[in-house]
Amino acid sequence: MNLKNITADRLVGLYAKRDLSVTEVINGVLEEIDRSDKNIRAFITLCRDSALEEARRADSRIAAGEAPGPLTGVPVAIKDNMSLQNVPTTCGSRILDTYVSPYSATAVDRLRSAGAIIIGKTNLDEFAMGSSTENSGMFVTRNPHDLDRVPGGSSGGSAASVAAGMALVALGSDTGGSIRQPASFCGVVGMKPTYGRVSRYGLVAYASSLDQIGPFSKTVRECAQVLEAISGFDNYDSTSADIPVDSYTRGLDQPGQSVKGIRIGIPREYFIEGMDREVKAAVEGAIHRYEDLGCRIEEIHLPHTEYAVATYYLIATAEASSNLARYDGVRYGFREGASGGLNEMYRKTRMAGFGKEVKRRILLGTYALSAGYYDAYYLKALKVRTLILQDFQKAFEKVDVILTPTTPTPAFKIGEKTADPLSMYLSDIFTITCNLAGLPGISVPCGKTSGNLPIGMQLLANHFQENLLLQAAHQFEKSGGFGDISN
Amino acid sequence: MKISEADVEYVAKLANLDIPDDQKTELANQLSRIVEHIEQLNRLDVTNVAPTCQVVTNTKHAIREDLVQLRPGSSEAGKTIKLFKVPKVITER
Repeated sequence: MNLKNITADRLVGLYAKRDLSVTEVINGVLEEIDRSDKNIRAFITLCRDSALEEARRADSRIAAGEAPGPLTGVPVAIKDNMSLQNVPTTCGSRILDTYVSPYSATAVDRLRSAGAIIIGKTNLDEFAMGSSTENSGMFVTRNPHDLDRVPGGSSGGSAASVAAGMALVALGSDTGGSIRQPASFCGVVGMKPTYGRVSRYGLVAYASSLDQIGPFSKTVRECAQVLEAISGFDNYDSTSADIPVDSYTRGLDQPGQSVKGIRIGIPREYFIEGMDREVKAAVEGAIHRYEDLGCRIEEIHLPHTEYAVATYYLIATAEASSNLARYDGVRYGFREGASGGLNEMYRKTRMAGFGKEVKRRILLGTYALSAGYYDAYYLKALKVRTLILQDFQKAFEKVDVILTPTTPTPAFKIGEKTADPLSMYLSDIFTITCNLAGLPGISVPCGKTSGNLPIGMQLLANHFQENLLLQAAHQFEKSGGFGDISN
Repeated sequence: MKISEADVEYVAKLANLDIPDDQKTELANQLSRIVEHIEQLNRLDVTNVAPTCQVVTNTKHAIREDLVQLRPGSSEAGKTIKLFKVPKVITER
């Protein structure tokens, strides 16, 4: 059973009417994965037995007259850097090859409490470090729209699984665009919530001040449903925000709901030289559509945008060099060179266990934090982060939402950027400011290239304005649709 | 600033990484290019700007009573398993 043509609310509706059983759907999805994933390779681990067992339990609850919840029996894929109890969590790295999680991440637990069924764990760039999923220590995931192209990254497996109909919705994590960029490349909706909105407990840390978990889906409504389920305060994450969660789905359903009068800012700095012509045209088309919907379009300035990539790659790698120090061959299974003493064992384990990009980032981060360079690199980046945050604070005095392209180009070819790490880093140029400023952002499909590759636009709003973002995205979707499914 | 192979060796030692000789030149070149890009930050005067380590969005101070709490619905680890067995890390001289 391919899930491309069904949404979560329709599926749950069919369960409620007993037109379809959860077991039939989960069996069908697993068959679809067996068929399609040979080519796409989105999944690292499949949870066949537990998914079928949970499906049987859901069916008996429905048979006993229990009304299904909003995500009952909804097959979900999760990125393999989130813990699921008694299931391996590899982070796409050899260093965690044999590691099995002893507990589940809060976001994963909350999805399951809402009735969702985890069908598997998806491929990613090793430790979420990358923009194409080519840095995975397992295998390369391919874009379902063109198998010669990357699905984006680092949550490439999650994006591809939803785009290919192998999962209805998925979870990813976003440190510099790792949800929004693959969503854009794969033609699906992807959202990074405000920093602190979703608990990071059980998410393997890459850059703790930037990481945030968020949903992938085909429609904005499903994105709202998943976000509603996973958001909220958690005692187990010291950076979790103690702020009530809006009912995001109710926000979408309000009668007469419109975006009329909303002020949308277009930052001049995001329409750069070298941007793909078709991406530019599609995003300009989206701006016109918002104008037709009664929004006020205003040009704004985010003058420190050009410094964002440099700032991000200092802060993220510095935090990563510290976070990844724990993988030393003692606690997580994988070990090399045990005969040569403790220090040699550490070095050999890390050398053999980490892939090239991870080592590059650990070296860069260690360099930025090392004596003599701390002030010039790391501290400087923290100060520029303040300037980037202030740019947004000023912008949000004038506008409610900011609209940009999600990426400068559509999905690139596999192997196209692997030889030059800097060119890969620069492909994140439009997504990383959002993480540095802790803002919520969503990527929604806004068109296709002549070669039929998806194009995404990004909407950003002020802290905790997820409701506004979802409404703006939903109205766009309703006004023209992203594809067959949303109409 | 150019990163030399000696810099790579020094930083690798700090980071507990064992970089083979044949990878040092490539890494030094790649890191030099990245650092060159990063040095565009020097164009900005940030003398009177405060650093942002984290965009704080939580309203409650993250301090609680120091009480052992088992997370509901989560692992049995700590309840049934008192010790985790890890491979030997101390060697004889």
